Amino acid sequence: MQGEKNKEWNIPRGLLFDSSDCWLKITEETVVGLTDYGQSNIGDIIYLDFVPAGTVVRRGDRCGSIESGKWVGSLLAPISGIIVETNSEAKADPHKVNTDPFGDGWLYRMEPADRKEITHLMNLDAYKAWIQERISGKAKDAEIL
Amino acid sequence: MKQIWRLLDTGELPAADNMALERVILTARSCNLIPNTLHFLQFSPHCALVGYHQAVELEIEEDYCREHGIDINRRISGGGSIYMDEGQLGWEIFALKNTPGIPKRLDDMYRLMCESVVNGLSRMGIDARYRPLNDIEVGGRKISGTGGTEMGNALLYHGTLLTDFNVDTMIACLKLPLKKLEDKQIRSFKERVTCLKEVLGYVPPLPDIKKAMARGFAEVLNVELMPGALTGEEETLMAGELPKFRSAEWIRLPRVLQESNLTVADYKAPGGLIRVSLLIDHLRQRIKSAFITGDFFAYPERSILDLEAALKNSSSRPDDVRETVRRFFAGNDVQIPGVVPDDFYQALSLAIAVQSSNENNGGNNASR
Repeated sequence: MQGEKNKEWNIPRGLLFDSSDCWLKITEETVVGLTDYGQSNIGDIIYLDFVPAGTVVRRGDRCGSIESGKWVGSLLAPISGIIVETNSEAKADPHKVNTDPFGDGWLYRMEPADRKEITHLMNLDAYKAWIQERISGKAKDAEIL
Repeated sequence: MKQIWRLLDTGELPAADNMALERVILTARSCNLIPNTLHFLQFSPHCALVGYHQAVELEIEEDYCREHGIDINRRISGGGSIYMDEGQLGWEIFALKNTPGIPKRLDDMYRLMCESVVNGLSRMGIDARYRPLNDIEVGGRKISGTGGTEMGNALLYHGTLLTDFNVDTMIACLKLPLKKLEDKQIRSFKERVTCLKEVLGYVPPLPDIKKAMARGFAEVLNVELMPGALTGEEETLMAGELPKFRSAEWIRLPRVLQESNLTVADYKAPGGLIRVSLLIDHLRQRIKSAFITGDFFAYPERSILDLEAALKNSSSRPDDVRETVRRFFAGNDVQIPGVVPDDFYQALSLAIAVQSSNENNGGNNASR
């Protein structure tokens, strides 16, 4: 993306992140969404779909699909647990994920199965560094979507 | 030393077999059972395919397909509905995402894959070019469309190459924004696609086409292609996947609420009439596809086709439509005497408003 190196990505404090550009707000339950950088990389989101609420997922399992520019990507669970609610408004209007990724464009809520998995997630500074690694092309294992 | 990729050619297969095979090869690549692969495929009988999230009943003229022996199936990749007859060649890249030379950003990867096709076409004497996001065109006319998906650490990127093409059957079996238009406008639509036969005046032998395409991919991706066959593991996976891809459950898959409505509007600009025909999903506020004709003169001629490409799958919200049109004209040197960008915005707005009145009259085609 042109000008990407100089772009300031919106990354709110108080969240954790995974390498697939998911943000997690962890309280009793966990809210999961796509970061500003993540939605920008994917581009204009045309379709969004989720596994049904109640589905048990392990970390890394596919828990939905996301389409942009004729590309269908997977939404991967950042931690293990039960999907307790999916964002039906974002599913009906995926544009919300592009325009308000940390607000109305949240993806799903889940009940974590193992709190220790949180140690695999990144804090704000680590996630910023991860974005920069990919923009600079230094991240060897960076993946599409 | 160049990486060795497999060159796989499975010949003509029914749609369900080809769709299952995509899942199988992607799975096999993801599990590291096979090397990166360039796959050529063909379809017999002819078929209509919807994109992964699309609804068959909104995209395909099912009665026509049944009457004419046209298979219907669903791709695992994104994008819109397509018609594949025996005169088209499919190509597919299966690769690990971290393959050296394959860009990590989607836009960059689209460009690289499409440049491979452009390179292959140049070997047949065709001056083609990449049209963002995902198309390849010759003289402004589409000759190959592309799309993709991923599984774990592997990706699939594929497309079609029109060799000899029956555009009338395509128009009859897909729900395109043409139904309310006159013959003149339908002729104009037909001119938006082309094929090898039309460009070259003949269809080169299929082995020659495949050879040129393979060399194009090998050069642009900087790999060596070694002919190979499906492995035993892939054959086993295929036996497991095929029943699913033949099932109505797969073909009728989507759980995303959506709709598709056709609307046509005329807008009189000082420089001439602008006729806009849209397929629109008002529930999800999307212009699915746009077809623009009229008696104005656009320079270069291809600019209207580019505007249609910019509008495809864009937001139908008024502010977004205005911005899409503004950005298009700001980024392209387009001259249309007597017509300004706002005229196109007004014409599009009229078409979207017609859509709204259709809804009030119960004119929706919705699907879940």
